[in-house]
Amino acid sequence: MSDKSKFRLNAASVILLFGILFLFSRYGSGYQLRILNNIAIFITLAVSYNLINGTCGLLHLGPNGFIAVGAYTSALLSMTPAEKQLNFIISGVIWPLSVIHVPFVVSLIAAGVAAAFFAFLISFPVLRVRGDYLAIVTLGFGEVIRVLCNAGQSITNGPLGLKGLQPYTNLWWSWGVATLAVVLIQRLTDSNFGLAMKAIREDETAARAMGVDPFRRLMVAFLISAFFSGIAGGLLAHLITTISPGLFTFFLTFNLLIMIVVGGLGSTTGAVIGAMLFSWGGEALRVVEQPMEIGPFLIPGIPGMRMVIFSLILMLVILFARKGIMGRNELSWDYVASKFARSKVMETPR
Amino acid sequence: MSLTLFLQQIINGISLGSLYALIAIGYTMVYGILRLINFAHGDLLMVAAYVAIYGISLLSLPWYLAFPFAIIVTGVIGILLDRVAYRPLRGAPRISLLISAIGASFLMENLALVLIGGVAQPFPRPAFFSHVIDVGNLHILVLTIYSPIITLLLVLGLLFIVFRTKTGKAMRAASLDFEATRLMGINLDRIIAITFLLGSSLAAAGGLMWAMKYPQINPFMGVLPGLKAFIAAVVGGIGNIVGAVLGGFLLGLCEILIVALLPDLAEYRDAFAFLILIVVLLFKPTGIMGEPLAS
Amino acid sequence: MNSLFQMRHVTKKFGGLEAVSDFSITLKGGELVGLIGPNGAGKTTTFNMMTGMLRPTEGEITWNGENITRVPSHLITARGIARTFQNIRLFGDMSVVENVMVSCHYSIGSSFLAAMLGLPKHRKEERRIREHSIKCLEEAGLGRFAFEKAQNLPYGLQRKLEIVRAIATGPGMLLLDEPVAGMNPTEKIELSVFIHRIREKSGITILLIEHDMKFVMSMCQRIRVMNYGRTIAEGTPEEIRSNLEVISAYLGGAPHAQD
Repeated sequence: MSDKSKFRLNAASVILLFGILFLFSRYGSGYQLRILNNIAIFITLAVSYNLINGTCGLLHLGPNGFIAVGAYTSALLSMTPAEKQLNFIISGVIWPLSVIHVPFVVSLIAAGVAAAFFAFLISFPVLRVRGDYLAIVTLGFGEVIRVLCNAGQSITNGPLGLKGLQPYTNLWWSWGVATLAVVLIQRLTDSNFGLAMKAIREDETAARAMGVDPFRRLMVAFLISAFFSGIAGGLLAHLITTISPGLFTFFLTFNLLIMIVVGGLGSTTGAVIGAMLFSWGGEALRVVEQPMEIGPFLIPGIPGMRMVIFSLILMLVILFARKGIMGRNELSWDYVASKFARSKVMETPR
Repeated sequence: MSLTLFLQQIINGISLGSLYALIAIGYTMVYGILRLINFAHGDLLMVAAYVAIYGISLLSLPWYLAFPFAIIVTGVIGILLDRVAYRPLRGAPRISLLISAIGASFLMENLALVLIGGVAQPFPRPAFFSHVIDVGNLHILVLTIYSPIITLLLVLGLLFIVFRTKTGKAMRAASLDFEATRLMGINLDRIIAITFLLGSSLAAAGGLMWAMKYPQINPFMGVLPGLKAFIAAVVGGIGNIVGAVLGGFLLGLCEILIVALLPDLAEYRDAFAFLILIVVLLFKPTGIMGEPLAS
Repeated sequence: MNSLFQMRHVTKKFGGLEAVSDFSITLKGGELVGLIGPNGAGKTTTFNMMTGMLRPTEGEITWNGENITRVPSHLITARGIARTFQNIRLFGDMSVVENVMVSCHYSIGSSFLAAMLGLPKHRKEERRIREHSIKCLEEAGLGRFAFEKAQNLPYGLQRKLEIVRAIATGPGMLLLDEPVAGMNPTEKIELSVFIHRIREKSGITILLIEHDMKFVMSMCQRIRVMNYGRTIAEGTPEEIRSNLEVISAYLGGAPHAQD
């Protein structure tokens, strides 16, 4: 299929997507809107996470730290000084945060930049090691950032967190960012840069021998992943309007891990599918935790059952279907076209 | 700070360190053979504590029967963990094993949450461990003194097994060269099962003492101590048993002393362990005892 | 290209073990030199030091007048020294052409931002890289496998692909580590023709490690023999063939000097 046709198809899909979103924004219920926003934010997070764990093959266990940095940066910049005063009742917030107040979009970009900056700082120790060591170091950094958020009373308001954020996040923002993330990251993965990253994943020594500089390539992936994670964090903050350090624990990383493993480690399409399944499934499974009436019986809800099911799914996938849904493949227009072509051929009389 | 207070903290540090040491051993033994970070290891603390409680309350066992019972059950669960979550992935890429470990850990924690509930339960501390000793100005819980002693005895027992028995020799061989050991006709699965049994039993012992020390238990109680014990294992040199013990004591001491000397930074207490980890991984990734890294 | 490669008094110690002792060699542009010796003689270790994967304990390595002793491997490739591996190290899960395209990465003229934004400059670079890679494959007779997964190729073609991949980096010197290991006689002849063609076309220097004596004797202008980390002989194939020390090193007959 020609590049031009693909471009047209992609453009058409995006227009279709935003058409659907428009309908929802007009006629959808608050509940539906919240789920759709959630899905979009998780798509952004999953696709960024997949760039590191899937495409580059590094086990990065600290994305929760970057999301936290993004969320707090965006929140602190977008809140008015008055709102901040209301929140920081124990000790005032430090200058210049006490007076700064920027439009939402600026706070989002700042969130991405801040997260990328943190990623840049820690990339030096992190990218010196591989395998389990990298996993533990990133886990450590994620935890350190969370603890810092918890203890930095005068910057982050500590365990109390920040409340009363303006609900700036709407379908356009969340899906706009998600679309951007998918397009840009997919382009990177498909490019020669993506090839270099995959080569590092396959055999780093051989990659080096072919002239690839692993540190620089992995650092780029790390920064891009952190950038989008930070923006997603900002979107999340302004969706649920309350953030606290407890939101950004290893649990969040675990959720992202499930998404990309089930979707297919190394596939952007897989990450999107995983994010959708998990977000939707998470909501659907809430049912299990509420009491249900089946006929004359009242079945009590079981809190925590959702996580048991998700853990089981993760284990079953990793034990029996390691490649996940997509494996490392992407859904492409060529594939779709080939499906149609085949049925066309069968219709043509010989 | 007065001398007595300082001494008190040293003793606390050594006591805490002994618990980290016991737990760290399990991590290091499994990593030595399987090159796997058993994320679910810390949760065995929780399992041991709850089994002990149910032994005492449901089965009406006296503590000196309930505790060994808990240790044995936890050891068996450790074997099951390997059988279910790790053995099927013997030849798989490392990332799969790590993900399986994380999944197993979350599964255990949330299963406990669902079955037992999230409300913290008090752990019965037997009178044997509850005396308070007064030495001069020091008030020391006798448990605090017993912990390092018990730890040392258990470690000596383990070292005896590892260095003076045939099974131990097989374990050491397996940690040096997995494939070659298998080719020598040694039943690797059995050796690995024994490794998990030993490591998990030690963790259980540590878990029981932890539960007596901090008597409010909940399904997630093993997470932080587990993580810190893992850091201790890395600091001491992952794969090396003596290193794990040293690392455990070192970490325990550092944690208590930093908080004692810099009380303003008490909130950052947990972050310190991670910072120590990061520093060690940067400058001497092979840890104190310096086992060669598997590249 | 008048490329000059030199190793001077290079030694590599692993703890107490001296894997390579006082090794010196000069390679001039366009030469085809063989490096032979029994297993464990230190040949691959020498290759690893030449390509920056191992750092010499002592000694100096220069290439085109520049001291490259401490230069990391990816930069050495950029400076014009490429290699193949004893055990095939292709990017198995990637396609044949993708394997070659990786070799062009270090010379890409666009940034990752240009790639993400799909800028024309980047798309031009991608086209250039793709065309160059396909051309390299076609010249080697691998054109029709371009979109196959590398690990699906038959063994002989995988070895060939390793060489194509190395050549695609545009080197001035090529190090081949046992290029014909495990091949049948027909494949070996094919590969030797291929190597000769490469030399004729680009005049690059080639240093190869091999155990197949017939192959080495027929291909190389000059042969260096190693044993226990030291050079024990150097000369033309005829000279080496009749060198007693070399013979005893391989057959383990008469006692030979070892320090």
